[in-house]
Amino acid sequence: MPLIWRLFKNVTTPLSTAEGLAVDDTLPQSVEYHQSPPILHLYTFVPSVIVGKYQDIEAALKLDRCRARGIEYNRRSTGGGTVIMGPEIVALGLGINVDYPGLKKGVGGIFESMSRVLIAALEKLGIQAYFQPKNDLEVGGKKIAGLSAASEAGRSLLFHTSLLVDFDVGLMTDIMNTPLIKLRDKGYNCFSERMTTVRDEVGRHVPVATVMEAIHQAFEEEFHIEFEEEEPDRWEKKTIQHFIDERYTKQDWIFSHKHPRARMGVGRVKSKAGLLEIYLSLSGASIENLLITGDFFSTAEDIHKIENALKWTSARRERIEENLASVWREDMIYGLDLSTLTEAILKAKENQVRL
Amino acid sequence: MADIKGYNMPDDLYYHEEHSWARVEGTKVTVGMTDFFQKEAGDIVFVDLPEEEEEVEQGEVCGKIQSRKWIGKLVAPVSGEIVEVNEELEEDTSLINSDPYGKGWILVIEASDLDSELENLMQGEALVSFLEEEIRKAEEEKAKA
Repeated sequence: MPLIWRLFKNVTTPLSTAEGLAVDDTLPQSVEYHQSPPILHLYTFVPSVIVGKYQDIEAALKLDRCRARGIEYNRRSTGGGTVIMGPEIVALGLGINVDYPGLKKGVGGIFESMSRVLIAALEKLGIQAYFQPKNDLEVGGKKIAGLSAASEAGRSLLFHTSLLVDFDVGLMTDIMNTPLIKLRDKGYNCFSERMTTVRDEVGRHVPVATVMEAIHQAFEEEFHIEFEEEEPDRWEKKTIQHFIDERYTKQDWIFSHKHPRARMGVGRVKSKAGLLEIYLSLSGASIENLLITGDFFSTAEDIHKIENALKWTSARRERIEENLASVWREDMIYGLDLSTLTEAILKAKENQVRL
Repeated sequence: MADIKGYNMPDDLYYHEEHSWARVEGTKVTVGMTDFFQKEAGDIVFVDLPEEEEEVEQGEVCGKIQSRKWIGKLVAPVSGEIVEVNEELEEDTSLINSDPYGKGWILVIEASDLDSELENLMQGEALVSFLEEEIRKAEEEKAKA
């Protein structure tokens, strides 16, 4: 008989950021301290924006725009960058023991295991996605889902994913604080060229419930389990309320100052390949994000691959060189050599200003 | 024996199973993360350090370490008071990757019960067996993929 996992599913009512995140934080607690089997939480949020645990929220977001548009903002307990959430974006929380059979080991292994499930789910919807190491799922060079995780309770971890069913790039460019947004139309294109959605890929509206069902089934097949749909029990409800009261409605948590300094810089280089512009977001001594733009010839897939190789890595010159070399092949950007690209990135780093 | 299957694990250190190491000098214990950890985790992008003067218990989570979008735990290998944290990590967390046993040290604990607690940490053959098992598990899972 297959093992039973638990499923908390909210299909019809989008959750507030406080409630959704508090339920997710309860998942590994329940697995570790309440003898629960793994728990999957599938749901949607009200229109909102959520930053990673160690992001500077004031640097990442235009909070006045969020307030004016009625967009909730909060901070999650897993790593990574800013995500826009809403009724057309599936949020996934999973609480599971790291030693669970079939779950690959190590940081990279766990992300790969989870991506395998999501790839299978997207396949059910007719979408051929693939894992872009180390944290993204892509379709044709465009991001469709981001993955993050945290070791929260003993040997149990919390895994988070957001899967774009439909997405408003205009909202993103209005509320996120990146220098690229100053470029307006160009900024809009930069994001729309790098992201895709279930709707864009299948060419029609797909209900969120259908996407959740595909994820649900993919988990059952991948781990040879069956789900029982349940509500949180009394112990879990108390824990959820604790996280709402003590974490997700507390200004100290949302505006936490435990984060590296956020900086941004632009590097422009005229090369044989054309004008190269690098927009770099730094978090302390690490690269949080970078965008490569200009009037050169390349493919969205190759540009995203290069950008991805540098996201959430050290901004030291030697690490930039190593990480670029790990994905680089000749004419990825037509006519551009690796050293010119490296110099442009380092120029953006040199030009960094504090936000 | 500093090299175990390609991972640098110096002989003079004590090791906790959550991949922190301890260098003992009198009652002061310097703590960091192992070469195995940093290679598995990849680029470390943030370390959430405890405050000096905080008391910690052996095996307690006393900090968080972010690599890419993963947030992992820093586990205290011994009990005592935190007397120093490596402030250089605030500017450059990659020191944990480039020099895990040197400039990438994380904190110093004034140990309160060193003699009995060192017995719970690994060295020598116990360390070799532990690490080989960790490597075997990682390789087995990679082979399944």
